[in-house]
Amino acid sequence: MIELKRVTKQYGQATVLKHIDLVIDEPGIYCLLGRNGAGKTTLLKSIAGYQNITNGTIQVDGKVITTSTLDTGVSYIENFARHFNLPVGKLLKIASEVNPNYDYEFASEMMERFELDAKKKFNHLSLGMKTMVSTILCLASNKSVVLLDEPVLGFDAIMRVEFYDMLTESFRKHPRIIVVSTHIIEEIAKTIQKLIILDKGSIRFFDTLQSVETKAFSISGLQKDVEAATQNLNVIGRDTVGGLATCYIFDTPSAPSASLEIHPLSLQDFFIQMVGHKGGAAR
Amino acid sequence: MKAIFAIVKRLLASNKISFILTALVVLCATSSGDVVLSNGNYTWLLAVMTPFFFVFYDYTKLMYLGASKKDYFFGALISYGILSFGISLVNTGIHLLIEPLYPARTVINLMDVCKWSENGIFLAGLQQMVFLLLVMISLHVLLSMQAHWYGWLTDTILVAILSIFTPIAPLRGILSGFFQVIMLNGNAVLHIGVCLLLSAALSFAGLVVLKRKTL
Repeated sequence: MIELKRVTKQYGQATVLKHIDLVIDEPGIYCLLGRNGAGKTTLLKSIAGYQNITNGTIQVDGKVITTSTLDTGVSYIENFARHFNLPVGKLLKIASEVNPNYDYEFASEMMERFELDAKKKFNHLSLGMKTMVSTILCLASNKSVVLLDEPVLGFDAIMRVEFYDMLTESFRKHPRIIVVSTHIIEEIAKTIQKLIILDKGSIRFFDTLQSVETKAFSISGLQKDVEAATQNLNVIGRDTVGGLATCYIFDTPSAPSASLEIHPLSLQDFFIQMVGHKGGAAR
Repeated sequence: MKAIFAIVKRLLASNKISFILTALVVLCATSSGDVVLSNGNYTWLLAVMTPFFFVFYDYTKLMYLGASKKDYFFGALISYGILSFGISLVNTGIHLLIEPLYPARTVINLMDVCKWSENGIFLAGLQQMVFLLLVMISLHVLLSMQAHWYGWLTDTILVAILSIFTPIAPLRGILSGFFQVIMLNGNAVLHIGVCLLLSAALSFAGLVVLKRKTL
């Protein structure tokens, strides 16, 4: 279980995380979405105890997490993690020796599935393969919380599909909390149970994908009709062109009207509307 | 314990550069004349280089492999213990077996300079071992602090102590007294006791620093 209470992180004058309250109490695969600089890495590193927060508390399985926590029970890996320049096979073996809970069998299986050359040294691997090694190491750690920061960076389409399968298989074998931060939204949708959207250091959304599927939709039509239809709904975004308008809603859908077009929002569109920016500019 | 020993193995294995450089210097260093330096003295180079690798190279990588900070801490301490024993054994061996073969009349080994040899070869070796342990732990703590403001403050204080204490005679006495206790000490019991106590205190400081270490 991960519990964050009023978590704030400041770097000098800049506040990266702002009073975050978050409870993840069920095992599952959670997707952490956010724009660049939203605070995703800071949040994940703080949960892993790799850096301290300025205010608030973080607990994992009831244990307070700070850099002072000598054994956090959290496994975190970032995309550019540096490892010993050893053959991949040896690296996985060493990981099983330094971490008593490590699932060496799973790691070896994944190494074979991704056609990683066990004899090839880590520094000689491509960026995608390096990331894959880091991800395997993290998933095989068998810690109660696994945090993967941008794990698909540098992966080709086939590797990404394989990665999502690996994630599901790892979770099925050992159910625990797995948080994956990514920018490739649509692809991971089939794999995850819940979605966390972080925007400018605050949690904007934390709910199931099912709620997005049932509650996120757009209403288009004449501006006055759209405004009338959406006045009691939770509008998360709005586009207006001439006399026509499109409103993006996250709410219980209302009865369809002949003059309005209602479409479900894709996960990506929902995310764009939730973070309230487009093309880098604030709306 | 299995994890700690795996970390010890990894720390020692990834310290190859220090081993090779030390071996090269020990084997290749030459001096001529009636009074020469023993090549065994250069084994101490390993004690100086090792903490740099443990702190700057191994720590992050071990963390990414899933090691805990606690296991890293104990692993590093055990490795320093093993290395100080090994260095002391090699230098003592050189002192006993190779130095008598030198053509020079006088061969200077730091074990003699530090007055440890006066206590017999076993105690001398032990004194050397605890002193090297102290050196490695001190360096480890000092290097671990470099990413923080208090590391720079400690550097400044150490430089200030050396520059202020050295030219002023009474203060110089204090400084030399300190080094006579921790290094140039013929009293084996006092020397071993002080070095072990300081090592324990510095290890504790190292643990505090490690707890603040970020990634």
